[in-house]
Amino acid sequence: MSTHAQAPAALPMTKAAAEKKYPAKMPRHGNASVYRTVVIGLLAIAVLAPVGLIIYQSFLSAAFFSPRAKFGLDAYRYVFTDRNFYKALGTTAVFSFGMVAIAVPLGGLLAFLITRTDIKGKRLLEILVLVPMFISSIVLAFGYTVSVGPTGFVSLFIRGLIGFVPWNIYSLPGMILIAGLSHVPHVYLYVSSSMRNLPSDLEEAARTTGASIWQVSRDVTLPMVLPSLIFAASLNILLGFETFGIPLVLGDPNGIMVLTTYIYKLTTLFGTPTYQLMAVVAVVLILITLPLVWAQRKLLKNARKYVAMGGKGARVATLKLGRGGQVIALSIIGFWLFVSVVLPIGGITVRAFVDAWGEGVNLFAQLTFANFDHLLEVPSLVRGIINTVILSVVGGAVAVGIYLMVGLAGHRNWGASNTLLDYIVLLPRALPGLVIGLAFFWVFLFVPLLTPLRPTLISIFVAYVVVGLSYGLRLLQGTLLQVAPELEESARTTGATIGRTWKDVVIPIVRPGLAGAWALIMIIFLREYATGVYLMGAGTEVIGSLMVSLLQTGAMNTIAALSLISVVLTGAGLALALRLGAKIHD
Amino acid sequence: MTELVVNNIQKWLGGLQILKGASFTAERGSIVALLGASGSGKTTLLRCIAGLEQPEIGTIVIGGKTVLDGDKKLALPPEQRNIGLVFQSYALWPHRTVKENVGYGLKLRNVSPTDIGKRVQAILDRMGLGHLADRYPSQLSGGQQQRVAICRALVYEPRVLLLDEPLSNLDAKLREEARYWIRKLILDLQICAILVTHDQGEALAAADNILLLQDGRIVQQGGPQEIYSNPNSFYSADFLGANNIVSGKVQTVDGKSAVIGGNGWSLNGTVREAAGLGQSQDARAVIRVEQIKVSDTPATDGIEMQLDDSIYLGDRWEYRLSRGDFVVKAHGTKRMATGKVWAQIPQESIWVFSGAQK
Ligand SMILES: Nc1ncnc2c1ncn2[C@@H]1O[C@H](COP(=O)(O)OP(=O)(O)O)[C@@H](O)[C@H]1O
Ligand SMILES: [Mg+2]
Repeated sequence: MSTHAQAPAALPMTKAAAEKKYPAKMPRHGNASVYRTVVIGLLAIAVLAPVGLIIYQSFLSAAFFSPRAKFGLDAYRYVFTDRNFYKALGTTAVFSFGMVAIAVPLGGLLAFLITRTDIKGKRLLEILVLVPMFISSIVLAFGYTVSVGPTGFVSLFIRGLIGFVPWNIYSLPGMILIAGLSHVPHVYLYVSSSMRNLPSDLEEAARTTGASIWQVSRDVTLPMVLPSLIFAASLNILLGFETFGIPLVLGDPNGIMVLTTYIYKLTTLFGTPTYQLMAVVAVVLILITLPLVWAQRKLLKNARKYVAMGGKGARVATLKLGRGGQVIALSIIGFWLFVSVVLPIGGITVRAFVDAWGEGVNLFAQLTFANFDHLLEVPSLVRGIINTVILSVVGGAVAVGIYLMVGLAGHRNWGASNTLLDYIVLLPRALPGLVIGLAFFWVFLFVPLLTPLRPTLISIFVAYVVVGLSYGLRLLQGTLLQVAPELEESARTTGATIGRTWKDVVIPIVRPGLAGAWALIMIIFLREYATGVYLMGAGTEVIGSLMVSLLQTGAMNTIAALSLISVVLTGAGLALALRLGAKIHD
Repeated sequence: MTELVVNNIQKWLGGLQILKGASFTAERGSIVALLGASGSGKTTLLRCIAGLEQPEIGTIVIGGKTVLDGDKKLALPPEQRNIGLVFQSYALWPHRTVKENVGYGLKLRNVSPTDIGKRVQAILDRMGLGHLADRYPSQLSGGQQQRVAICRALVYEPRVLLLDEPLSNLDAKLREEARYWIRKLILDLQICAILVTHDQGEALAAADNILLLQDGRIVQQGGPQEIYSNPNSFYSADFLGANNIVSGKVQTVDGKSAVIGGNGWSLNGTVREAAGLGQSQDARAVIRVEQIKVSDTPATDGIEMQLDDSIYLGDRWEYRLSRGDFVVKAHGTKRMATGKVWAQIPQESIWVFSGAQK
């Protein structure tokens, strides 16, 4: 009782004391606060509107535009009593954790070999190792189908040798293995950058006491990179919850469902779209992924602190592998590259140029351009290719412009608007592309001013911008931070407003970085397939989403040709990115 | 004519008070040096004047225009203050040529391109940089970059020129030249300049008025000679010059004069700061090295001391003297043999302060 009475009295006193200690801050005039507020506000609308619509829809009994729609928990009740939902949820969890169990040790090992040892061909390996990250997972999954699927090239070859195929990729373990291997680059990326920053004197000190390489790695190196390993693990769990391509291609034929494919199947389950059910599952997904994203943010902050402590100028001494070591290390990487790049892409390449194959068929006798000829005869497919290129090249450039505007709005900014920006940027990370696409489909369908834009590429572009927001903005922010503050301040004292400073100093200095960012965003847009699944319509087809819908019809020849085109375009984008000096690492 | 009025500037950063009420004025055609140890708040004060930091309390008037008023919550951004700032790192824009760097301020002020060309060329010629107009900053030496940075900040004739340690990135020889021509330039152009430095030599040689900063406060201000020969605190006395610090106990105090001593020695000194100088309390004396005259022949007013060593410094000799725990350095023109010597120190050059640490 008495404590309760005291509390209010104590509060004003400490507040007054605090005010005496730190007077109110001066208002910041001429700091482009109007621009910052408008841009961040618009971004908030672009991100929050679709999310809000999903949440709203989940509490309705029918589609939100239907006159029958009433508030209630009907949709939740349906989903939470559906056995398939729980099965999908369980499968998703097993899938994600299994994927992490494969990707993290392997990614960590690759990072160790490439950054801390004198392995041969480092420069080339650094790039090769990242390749699976740039290929859309639907293309990869399809590649595995045609190479090691039940009737894949390699499977048939093995069956010819030993009489049976000793694996089945159309199973949960198969999906996990393939997803795990293809997510190795995501682990490698973070772990290698933290390994690069490790001071090697600790390792050397341990070595001089007589410890073996492996003891040192286990007792010294591993604990130091643990934060980045944990971060990579949490990132991959998140990616696991959001994957769509691999479960769709490999799980669906045997009825193995994860949450994203469950959402997708809900569309067809009832004949009519059951928006409220899809919304409920999307909300469940967000509730799982949002805390993950939030935890990652914390982890990343800690990891940065940790890296900074390691000291920047630390010389990295590499461990000598020796002849035997080189052979083993290169074999490990080579085998992984064979399985995760050569198998699927080789499969696609072969499949794209043959029409029919089976046991006893000589592939060389079957070589043909018929798949491409056919593809060029179907207008929607041709449009898909053209649209994909337009979206990636032009859309990528415009997206970089938008990310730049957002980046500037948050550049050397303080206070509430900056915190808001930080959190808005996190949100799309928690949303699978499929869900973002669905939400924007609804937005463009029913927000009166926007409806005319729905049948245009703009609707897909807007969704892509939101999908790429976290990645793109981080890229841009990193570039902007490289401009030394004095260069901006000297423009201000010379008489330039903040806008002039951005135009005359900041943007010209970051221009090379913008080109690199454009190439990387281009690749992100090229490989996107899930976002367009609902959004695309006649005239706005894109390659990735076309493949998703073609899968339902089983038009393998066409999918193979499209996949190869997608791989070639991605390769071109990657070459351009490297040419422009994009920072693929970090 | 007063160009700059700084009044009671207080600034907090990261929860700490960095500036604790700095006030001063500066006139046209004169140089004010902000001198202080590293971390004393010089850069922060300069950035407050420039508008790059906004102090919570205080007023600043530049060329008759109030640019900061803590009470009225008025704080103009840098571009509305009509100042020029030369950064320690020069901060030249790497993507612009020398000509474009220098001309930018004029372009912003809507000067016609032909006039810009003329004025830029004139100031570059004046600084001996005319032939470098089309180079990029990365193609210039450190000294040239520094002069370009000064041109850039001067060409549009700002009311106040602010320089943050402009010479610290130059090597020693260039630095002495630079402080001479910077002073000449500012006097020729009749502008008002604020020079931040931690180098007393630079402040003494270049400034008309020196403000000594300690921990966010101006502890003393005055002309170079005044501040050098008439310090009002131990910090001021110790910061400038090459000094001997002698610790002892107060033996007698009588108004302006005091006797301090220790194990087997006593000195007759002048009280500089009376507070804390009671009988037998701890005291410190500051004696400028150049004030001690050493001779190897007995002098009636000299203190008999032991010469421990003579060190050759090129242009002079340094003597290491001691008598019990009274240890000093002095300079002279010739080598002396170790042993007994006599040190003459005028009473007005032995500045006595309280021994309490501040
Ligand atoms: N952004 C900041 N946050 C907290 N403290 C700061 C910041 N900038 C400077 N300081 C502190 O303010 C004090 C004065 O800094 P500064 O003005 O740079 O000193 P000087 O230029 O005299 O060396 C230092 O103690 C420094 O650590
Ligand atoms: Mg400084």
